[in-house]
Amino acid sequence: MSADSPLIALEGIVRNYKQGDQEIAVLRGISLTIDPGEFVALQGPSGSGKSTLLHILGLLDRPSAGRYRLQGEDVADLPDDRLSELRNRDLGFLFQSFYLVPYVSALENVILPGLYGPTPGRQLRQRAEDLLVKVGLGDRLNFKPNQLSGGQQQRVALARALVNDPRLLLADEPTGQLDSATSIEILELLDTIHAEGRTIILVTHDDETAARAKRRIVLHDGRITAS
Amino acid sequence: MTAALPLLETLRMPWRLLRMAVEALWAYKLRSAFVVCGIALGIASLTIIVAAVDGAERKALEIVKFFGPDTAFVLGGDFRSRAVGQRTLTLTWDDARAIRQSLPGAYLVVPMRAKSGLTLHYLDNQEDLPIAVGATAGYAEVWNWPLVEGRDFSDEDVTRGAKVCLIGDTPARNLFGDASPVGRTIFVGRLPVQVIGRLSYRGLSGGGGSIDDRIILPISTLTQRFNLDRRYFRALRVKFRDPENMAANVAGLRSLLRHEHKLVDGDKDDFSILTADEILKFLSMFKGGLVIFLGVTALVAIVVGGFVLANLFYLSVSERRSEIGLKKALGAKSRAILLQFLVEAVLLTLLGALLGMALGMAMGQLLARLGLLEILFSWKVFFMSVAAAVAIGLLFGLKPARQAAALDPIEALRGL
Repeated sequence: MSADSPLIALEGIVRNYKQGDQEIAVLRGISLTIDPGEFVALQGPSGSGKSTLLHILGLLDRPSAGRYRLQGEDVADLPDDRLSELRNRDLGFLFQSFYLVPYVSALENVILPGLYGPTPGRQLRQRAEDLLVKVGLGDRLNFKPNQLSGGQQQRVALARALVNDPRLLLADEPTGQLDSATSIEILELLDTIHAEGRTIILVTHDDETAARAKRRIVLHDGRITAS
Repeated sequence: MTAALPLLETLRMPWRLLRMAVEALWAYKLRSAFVVCGIALGIASLTIIVAAVDGAERKALEIVKFFGPDTAFVLGGDFRSRAVGQRTLTLTWDDARAIRQSLPGAYLVVPMRAKSGLTLHYLDNQEDLPIAVGATAGYAEVWNWPLVEGRDFSDEDVTRGAKVCLIGDTPARNLFGDASPVGRTIFVGRLPVQVIGRLSYRGLSGGGGSIDDRIILPISTLTQRFNLDRRYFRALRVKFRDPENMAANVAGLRSLLRHEHKLVDGDKDDFSILTADEILKFLSMFKGGLVIFLGVTALVAIVVGGFVLANLFYLSVSERRSEIGLKKALGAKSRAILLQFLVEAVLLTLLGALLGMALGMAMGQLLARLGLLEILFSWKVFFMSVAAAVAIGLLFGLKPARQAAALDPIEALRGL
């Protein structure tokens, strides 16, 4: 793939849900391209479809219609196992409520995505340790999630999202459960990660958070209203 | 690179799943313990059954060997209708003489009586004697029970009512320790008798008492000195020359005894003839009953264990929905989720199997101590338990594991 071709290209993405007899359209034709290295904020009121769009972008959901090319590859009809591989290798996820596995240590949580990939164990462990140091938790490697604060948990999750060295980081309201000081810490870490050349797509309904992104996409009622 | 590398890479995923499974089981200790106990109880009963059946079989063969394939055992009275109160003293000296003289093939006939509740003493040593047997010459031979020391009775000992005895292994040990009992005089009750032979150790126990705990007196001595009826005796051992024709031998013995007892057609036998075959039949009937009774018990226990497992795994899947959803979002394939849950199920059942076997063996030891069963560790039991455990784990773990693997990551994460 050449340097100037887009990382993500969506064409006419539609997503309908069945609710009883009714079809509800959540996304009504989304077309957009995102280039490598962009920092994009996906904004919109609740129910606007931004989470659904993020799920589709993250290969967790499939569009009802439309074309999605990721790194030039049409991913709409790939088998589930192939999508799992792509998620594992090329995507990192950050969730609003962290989703750490409660019964293993911070380090084991960071290692987790690597366990489903090809990286040898020792190398993986080293990478996970380095990442935890990088997010400022070098002294908390063996802490369980319930021994960490919310901000610390989200930093563990951030290290986890990076352990397989993905090109694209997808963050779904990553500061939604954090106070403003902690939020700023997380957002600054995102800035650093972006500065390393990674592409970030950040879902938020908060203008201040969105302001950190270099580009904003606003969704309303399943359509892009500003880009 | 080396050839080992692809192998290492193939094993990497199963190894990682195994470790994840162990971590999860350790994290949910209580639930794991319930499953392990449920399975363990089932496997414990299975262990006992197989061991008991094996033990019963070994014992049956031992008894049959002891009994001898060339020998018939005649009991007074029909033992099938003993409960009716039919008299059991029907065998007489005339019968013994008739068999010895006119039954073709029979070469040794030994009549027997027994008395229980006597005491033995020698110097200061005293012990209760469960049974004193009265017999004629040839007791050791007719029971295939060789003497390790001394000699058997002579015909003269029997006709004279001599005060001599053969001593079993247990009283010999208790009264004399390692010293030789032969030639010593011991007291049976108040009667002094000289030990002339020592029976070898037999080590067969039936219903609590040891068969070695006995002495043998000439039948005349026993009946005269201990006031027993002199005309009748309880049992007869008849040894034949040709064990291949036991059926014919037994038929001949039966018609002779019926003739001697003046039974006409239609009368029931007033005696019972036992042969090794017959005992084997009886024992296998008993064994069959044991297998069915214990088998049903074990089956129920194992099925219950399996359902406990299935239930707790469904609980586990619904409780760990977000973990499953997360793992799928992070790139775990459905197969990896399925495998992790199956590995968890199989690990727990295997652990249950090992615990169950230990439990079963311990209970077996207890039963063996009580003299009810004889139980030995066997690899057969081990492999059966392990196979049963894996089968239970796969059977009852598969459905919940598939359910976990089929979870939609978005739904699963949202369900938190």
